[in-house]
Amino acid sequence: MSNTDLATREPQVFGAVESKSPGRLAWERFRRDRVAVIASFVVLFFVCIALLAPLVCKALGINPLTLDRKALNDYGLPNGPFGAISRKHLLGVEPGTGRDILARLIYGARVSLLVGFVSTLLTTVIGVVLGIVAGYRRGKIDAIISRFTDLTLAFPSLLLIIALTRPFTQRLESFGVPEGNPARLTYIVLVLSLFGWVYVARIVRGQTLALREREFVEAARASGAGHWHMVFKELLPNIWAPIIVIVSLSLPGYVAVESTLSFLGVGLLPPDASWGVMLGDSVKYYRADPAYLFVPGVALIVLVLAFNVMGDGLRDALDPKSDRQQLG
Amino acid sequence: MKRRIIGLLGLALSASLIASACGSDSSSSTDTAVSNDTVATPGTDAGTPTTGGTIHILSQLEQITHLDPQRNYTGSDLAFVGSTMQRALTSYAYAPGSDGSKLVADLATDTGTPTEGGKVWSFTLRDGATYEDGSAVTCADIAYGVSRVFATDIIVDGPTYAITYLDIPKDADDNSVYPGPYTAKADQQALFDKAVACSEDGKTITFTLSRVVSDFNYTTTLLAFSPVPKAKDTGEKYDMAPVSSGPYKIKSYEPGKSLVLVRNENWSKASDPIRNAYADSFVYEFALDPAVIDERLIADAGDDQYAVSDGGLQPENLQTVFDDERFKDRRQDDYDPYVSFTAFNAKTVSCVEVRRAVYLGLDREALRTAGGGPYTGDFADGFIKPALADDYAPNKMPEGLNADGTPNVEAAKAALTEAKTKCPDVYAKATGEGLKFFHPDTPTWQKNISIWIESLKAVGIVIKPTAVEPSKYYPTVQSDETDYDIARGAWGPDWPNASTMIPELFLTTGGFNLTRNGDDPAYKQFETDTKAALAELDRSAQGTKWKALNQFLVDQLWSLPGTFLKAQDLWGSKVGNAYRWSSSGSFLFGELYVKQ
Repeated sequence: MSNTDLATREPQVFGAVESKSPGRLAWERFRRDRVAVIASFVVLFFVCIALLAPLVCKALGINPLTLDRKALNDYGLPNGPFGAISRKHLLGVEPGTGRDILARLIYGARVSLLVGFVSTLLTTVIGVVLGIVAGYRRGKIDAIISRFTDLTLAFPSLLLIIALTRPFTQRLESFGVPEGNPARLTYIVLVLSLFGWVYVARIVRGQTLALREREFVEAARASGAGHWHMVFKELLPNIWAPIIVIVSLSLPGYVAVESTLSFLGVGLLPPDASWGVMLGDSVKYYRADPAYLFVPGVALIVLVLAFNVMGDGLRDALDPKSDRQQLG
Repeated sequence: MKRRIIGLLGLALSASLIASACGSDSSSSTDTAVSNDTVATPGTDAGTPTTGGTIHILSQLEQITHLDPQRNYTGSDLAFVGSTMQRALTSYAYAPGSDGSKLVADLATDTGTPTEGGKVWSFTLRDGATYEDGSAVTCADIAYGVSRVFATDIIVDGPTYAITYLDIPKDADDNSVYPGPYTAKADQQALFDKAVACSEDGKTITFTLSRVVSDFNYTTTLLAFSPVPKAKDTGEKYDMAPVSSGPYKIKSYEPGKSLVLVRNENWSKASDPIRNAYADSFVYEFALDPAVIDERLIADAGDDQYAVSDGGLQPENLQTVFDDERFKDRRQDDYDPYVSFTAFNAKTVSCVEVRRAVYLGLDREALRTAGGGPYTGDFADGFIKPALADDYAPNKMPEGLNADGTPNVEAAKAALTEAKTKCPDVYAKATGEGLKFFHPDTPTWQKNISIWIESLKAVGIVIKPTAVEPSKYYPTVQSDETDYDIARGAWGPDWPNASTMIPELFLTTGGFNLTRNGDDPAYKQFETDTKAALAELDRSAQGTKWKALNQFLVDQLWSLPGTFLKAQDLWGSKVGNAYRWSSSGSFLFGELYVKQ
């Protein structure tokens, strides 16, 4: 048995906590998952494009609002094959107006991702706080929060969102949120968060219930730690893994929901673009201009798929017990 | 009459008032040339109509807006209900082309006899007309039908010419003192009975008007002059189950689903000189997606071979249909009676320079392209279509307005600079917080509003859109409480006289005035001139007055002329008689037949 052997085996037996943190281990596992890595690059690509939308569009010489009559024929349809793809319009133009589809796709990504990220952030914060409190305190507080969770789950949320769009955006506007799309987006984010936190809260509560009986928590409690310490130093650090997984899996869900709402006409107002708005419009043209339907559809599928694959990869990496690792 | 808002090319609307105005070049060209020539209507093929079968009418509406004859005021509904179930005193001839605007007798034996220069009109009634239960249509029923119009709290949305014209006193607010048959006291009813009188033998009905109306017999083509048997009147509920006096009656009616008409066995062809009633039944299918309607008509399979749509083709399918000769025998592209316009709220946009800046800077060409290019129609130069030949003359358009519809940014900016000194408030609003544009929340309008915003941005004018659910759009903008700065609409004449256009659109008492122009400095002048035109007895002198008023309106720009609209239809391969009926701008549904 050589030194090197000792050196490699030792950490596996005793030293893992010191020399390789769980995070580091997870990262290494994630890195080995080739598909997940590719997916995260795709996600990163979309995020960068969305963040840098004005620069990207400027570099390409396109604008999501500029009308281009010349790209349309007399029927108002794109003046060429595949939605009039040309050097000027790399993905063709929108029928009726001649606006550049690529530019609208890029700006649309901003909206979709913004809604996705903000909703995810809000649901996570609310869900984690309520979930931990419920799981840690148990008893009456747990009962109240849990019943409240059940109640929220029972709401026909999509129906409610659609029905309340107009009155609530008006209310928001009267509270000083800028009229039009800022109010619409605020509304969408708020309602998605209002109905979305329950899923996070349930999982976090379950995890907390399991954790609080563990020895190290008992020990902390025995040594007289306060609630604050218990939650932030003992419990929270140990449920990060499931939280990260929830986040990465719910984000694409919100992106898709935003598209659904815009498709149903309660999302973004014209002239701004979102993928849902584009999809909703393009469906009419499936016969006359199928390329138009294809572009936002594919973009949405790719983004949601990438997020999901990345999320699965994260889950596998953070939770080595899950058997997806072997399957994958 | 109102045009439904369904997209921009929403309704199947018609055509052939145009023919009288623009010659009758009937090359069956379906190319994209913009011209005022009428296109030969392929539906008027030489085949002999045959009896029997079922015609399907595909609709995206939830229901017929109003089946109640007195409340019916939408072009295609008037054609549908009038040709199947409700007879009126007079009618337009059931014929394609310009023949369709000829006046013929229906329940009357002639088209009316004016006396006292047109202040008193009498109609002799035809024998043998019956309701679906076999009882006879009486003079009293017609009078009762007209009296319902006055019950303005129950009988809403219909034309109110009866109130305007009949010689019944009005109170200080210009409301009739006769409150309709439901609540009238004996003395009030007597006032009505004096204005609308039946002769002793019940054979003649006489209308006494408060002033000369030389074309009152055109007014009586409206179904507001249809008979309603008093015993069967259910007030508001009559809308769902009116009693038929025509060749068909309702078998079943489920809003959101379907309306089925079957033959009225008690109708006799001998008593009805105009209706032919070829088909055995009609099925009106509601609440269909417009894309699905187009798809079904394009596919032409099964029962859809016997189908027409009441909504016209969607712009996105025009190329599919008009670039393919397969469809050449079952499509049409024609003018309809409507003019589209964009109305300013003259209270908030009380500055003609700002209104002109909007007009000059607006990319009308892009708007037209979004609606299907030349298929949308021609740029309007006023509010009267050339088809209304007596009243139409080309207008002098504002200086700098590009005839091809492209924006003239320079000229618009110049107008805006003028506004800056003349009306700083409106200028500040238009360039700062923005003008509130209420538009129907339809896919077409989502694009149109983008074009408005984008093209006026170049001028420095801000447009703030508010989307309104389509079915609530007209009630919303017609309500005084709605604080829009800009709204849109389309209107067609009720009969060939600008008296049914200009006063309706611009007098404060008009039925469809979206401009709120009552306080405008130019309004007094306009009102005086309009009333003079209405009172003018000589038709050609009246036409001259309408022409001058049309020009006046273009100078004031309370409302921006939009498009002299066209509409396109496709119908099933086994449908006969599919033509635009000029008076309604829709198919003449009751005359459609199944080709054997």
